[in-house]
Amino acid sequence: MAYVATRGGEKAIEQAERLFRQDLGTIDIARVAAIRQSMPYLIDRVMGEASLYDEDMAALALAQTGGELSEAVLVLRAWRTTQPRLAVAAPLRQEHLLTQRRISAAFKDIPGGQILGPTLDYSHRVLATDVFEGIPYHPPAVDAAARPAPMRQPSLADWQRQQGLVAPATEPQVARDDIPDLTREPLLFPASRAHRLQSLARAETGGVLALGYAAMRGYGNAHPTVNELRLAEAEVVVRHPCGTEFSAGRVRVCQAEVTSKEKGGFLELGFAASFGWNEVKVIAAATLDLNSAEAPLGSPMHEEFYLYHTESVEASGFCIHFKLPHYVTFQSVLDAMRDAKAKAAAADAHDDDDALAQARQTEPAE
Amino acid sequence: MTLASLTKPWAATSYGFLDASAKRELRRKMLKAIAVPGCQMPYASREVPMARGWGTGGLQVTLTLVNPQSTIKVIDQGADDGVNAASIRRFISRVSGAAETWDTLEASIIQSRHRVPEETLAADQILVLQVPNPEPLRGVEPNMSIARQMHADADYGRLWLTLYEQMVRKGRIMQGAAYPSLVNGRHVMTPSPIPRWDVPKLNMAQHLTFLSAGREKRLHAVPPFTRVEPLVFSDRPYRVEDHAELVCRRSGVAGYFMNEIPQDQGGSVFEISDSNLGIKAIRQAEGEVVAIGTTWYRNGEYSA
Repeated sequence: MAYVATRGGEKAIEQAERLFRQDLGTIDIARVAAIRQSMPYLIDRVMGEASLYDEDMAALALAQTGGELSEAVLVLRAWRTTQPRLAVAAPLRQEHLLTQRRISAAFKDIPGGQILGPTLDYSHRVLATDVFEGIPYHPPAVDAAARPAPMRQPSLADWQRQQGLVAPATEPQVARDDIPDLTREPLLFPASRAHRLQSLARAETGGVLALGYAAMRGYGNAHPTVNELRLAEAEVVVRHPCGTEFSAGRVRVCQAEVTSKEKGGFLELGFAASFGWNEVKVIAAATLDLNSAEAPLGSPMHEEFYLYHTESVEASGFCIHFKLPHYVTFQSVLDAMRDAKAKAAAADAHDDDDALAQARQTEPAE
Repeated sequence: MTLASLTKPWAATSYGFLDASAKRELRRKMLKAIAVPGCQMPYASREVPMARGWGTGGLQVTLTLVNPQSTIKVIDQGADDGVNAASIRRFISRVSGAAETWDTLEASIIQSRHRVPEETLAADQILVLQVPNPEPLRGVEPNMSIARQMHADADYGRLWLTLYEQMVRKGRIMQGAAYPSLVNGRHVMTPSPIPRWDVPKLNMAQHLTFLSAGREKRLHAVPPFTRVEPLVFSDRPYRVEDHAELVCRRSGVAGYFMNEIPQDQGGSVFEISDSNLGIKAIRQAEGEVVAIGTTWYRNGEYSA
């Protein structure tokens, strides 16, 4: 069957995948552990975009894809989708979070205090090239504060509500088991707030940053002031079938609340939260949320635009699908183009109207 | 009674990969899609172990339909041995136990990217088309909320206008594949990027066609014996690609949709796009007994 033999791509393809995997070498538990330990922020980013909190799985996905982020997220999500949904965790309350970093740019000080926590914000971004000279970089030890910061801080928005600065919460209370789940329902527009925030939580960091930056820079309508930014750990409280509530463990979470000018006598708040610590993403996402209400339909600040176009698995999948053959559609385009050209040439050949009219009549029907 | 007797044995994944709740949702949406031909039904669209835009929508429908007695054919651009087609076919077979085939006549489910097979499909066959963009109005209205409103109002004026403008500017409608078509006189659909050659095959067909877009989370259907009318003006009839006279350089058959292969010396030769039909024609010419089904076209003229 010569016809088939000459196609012969299947073998080459298999070798191409082998080449990719060969370059990465053997993946064992030690490598996965090393990635998990040395790249916590990368792990957080992948877990957030995959909406799956499992540091070992995320490290394995990164190892297996050589750090190709969109592939790592896809592998994790494809695994996640095979897992049953066993329980719905109790909603987190800000004042219950085990907070390690909490800052506000809206007030010099806030109830509960500002806690810098771990950050590179004020560092000089200098490469530690001494490492190449054989001088290892040892991080200087942290001096403990005289008095430990409280583990839990109140919610700034609650204080603002008490002061009448922020509108009272009007969102209807939803029973825990009825909380909408974007992974099991299609995203429709106008999106419910739950779907919007879930979609932003797993949106691609770079995409959210690009559109959030556009909104900040002037294509949106709201200047975000960081009301409260938190890096925290949260207890995942689930209900045992026998009715008791228990903590299934802790996850790292981050959240940003940004505020803008007043509307109707109140400050408006934009909000975003995600698995893992990823400050840039939640600030950008909260800015998009803040801008949504006033964004013109069809603008990049409108929720339909940014929610669709920051979905990493969909966006990267569609982008790389253009590598697949398209010769059938292309052939169809060629056919139309050649025919149109032939028609134009025929029309040029008879420039007086009568001749043209005759030519049209004798042409085959279209 | 023990607890174990109440449950199924543990398995790493469900039968056919998708879990029961995903299949249940898809079945409901597929039934709705049949009930309102051409109307796009949103569905959650789960992640599957391949990239979005590589046939995940078609795959989810096929995985929902498949059973161990099924025979699966998967084609990409008409070819069964295209890399992605082979990969999807192997995956379906692996998770469902269904038989694999290249032969259109043997298949009970045919998942396809960009082609409808050339051999006429029978009433007991299901065609699943992978759809990159199910929204025919995307070109004139990128906003989905507005486009849905336009479908609800059967407001297709802007679509007609673009076709008219093409005719004025170029002397003909320039739409290549994915020709917008009116289904059952009500909803305009994008029939996936199948060439114009394939659109008439869906009209009043005996078989059921599902069109599913995983990335866009929409599916629609053309039930058997349903009208599918490409949008055309009464004085400019629908015209398929001018392939009637082209001859396949390998199998020698003519009257089918062809792939153009550019040649080093200039010019081009042609090969039949439905590759397994080409293989069958070669085998037949070599004296083997091969069943070749009836086709939709006769001498390049649609005749079914």
